Amino acid sequence: MLQLFEFIARKRNLILFVLLEILSFWLIVNNNNYWSVNYFNTSNAVVAKSLLVSNSIKEYSNLQEVNQTLAEENRRLRQQITTAQQQKPANAPAAYKPDSVFAARYKYITVAKVVESTVYRTDNYLTIDKGAADGVRERMGVMSSDGIVGIVTVCNAHFSKVTSILHSQFSVGAMLLRSGEIGTVEWQTTNPSVVSLRDISRYKKVLKGDTAVTSNYSSVFPPGATIGRVQKIAVSADQSQFEIELRLSTDFTKLSYVYLVENKLQKQQESLQKSPVTARK
Amino acid sequence: MNPSDIIRSTIIGLFYLLMHVFVARQLVLFDCAFCFIYVGVILTLPYEISLTALLLIAFGTGLIADTFDNTLGMHTAATVLMAYLRPTVVNYQMSQKISEGRFELSLRNLGTPTFLSYAFVLVLIHHSTLLFIEAGSGSLFLFTLLKIGASVVFTLIALLLSQLFFR
Repeated sequence: MLQLFEFIARKRNLILFVLLEILSFWLIVNNNNYWSVNYFNTSNAVVAKSLLVSNSIKEYSNLQEVNQTLAEENRRLRQQITTAQQQKPANAPAAYKPDSVFAARYKYITVAKVVESTVYRTDNYLTIDKGAADGVRERMGVMSSDGIVGIVTVCNAHFSKVTSILHSQFSVGAMLLRSGEIGTVEWQTTNPSVVSLRDISRYKKVLKGDTAVTSNYSSVFPPGATIGRVQKIAVSADQSQFEIELRLSTDFTKLSYVYLVENKLQKQQESLQKSPVTARK
Repeated sequence: MNPSDIIRSTIIGLFYLLMHVFVARQLVLFDCAFCFIYVGVILTLPYEISLTALLLIAFGTGLIADTFDNTLGMHTAATVLMAYLRPTVVNYQMSQKISEGRFELSLRNLGTPTFLSYAFVLVLIHHSTLLFIEAGSGSLFLFTLLKIGASVVFTLIALLLSQLFFR
């Protein structure tokens, strides 16, 4: 008996080593054992918490990449929504069947980053980091995640200049969602968050808080793109029309990513509308 | 071993563990070179420490590494084996140093060639054990060998760099 204890005392390290190795291999072989499942894995509270902290630090470094992928994903989703809406417009009679080319006329070309923008001048422009090399053409519509932004006026190989809504010559057809009235949006004020909606008869019904969207008449923007919300309703000096103030849904002071949308039938539509036959009417 | 030695060893050990858990664990070069820098915990413990304590520390270190990798047992087995062989390697490679008296197992005290050969043998043992257990069988034998070779080089470079940091 004494000899046995002496042996254990002498060889205690070897015995400990063998025991620990047996324990390790037992843990490896029974990899679904109680210990592994309940304590020693990454769902352990302390471990998970520390991984979370290190992950949140890492997240900062790829925020830019994440933003880009999200913007690109949004572009694809917008494309699908617009095509779907055009194939079956909400307020159309049941018999209306759009031509397939017409229904698919709007194409979201690309996502661009705003590199420069002004808001406080009479005529405001934006510069974006995509140009002809990325498929951007003049007279394309520019939209942000919140609503419409403007129209491309000049583009070179890698940059484009965009006339924003905040431009004295800019106008776009608009429709009020709830009342269905159609008017024209222009920028007259010096306030970069407010535009005015005109050409709506004062005998029509206009609701405060109603949403103005682009109408079917626009050849640049897909119908139903948000412009803004009715903020103030007044009557014009000649008593015939409303003068409506819209609060823009796009915050021009904080623009970062914008979407470029192309109307493939734009040339056909505009040349027809300008042709002498229709002009004579 | 006096208290300041113990504190110093603890800090170095914690440094290696945290480095492994938060940084080195995610470094994989060319899909085959891994960095298991936590072996530094075992390598740099003082020479005078008893083998029993060394084995238990190795077990704990392996357990922590396993917990973060969800591979309960693998790092533990490799680290315990490495710790058990450490006195043998030290006695074999540094018999002269031992006869001279007290010394530290660090780059500063041993010099680059001695530290590198000491670390190389133990890191090779650790990585071979770990990666063969992980491979689970003889299949992919050559790829496992490649992984072992690449990982040993990577871990040794990381160890050298971290040792320069403690200078």
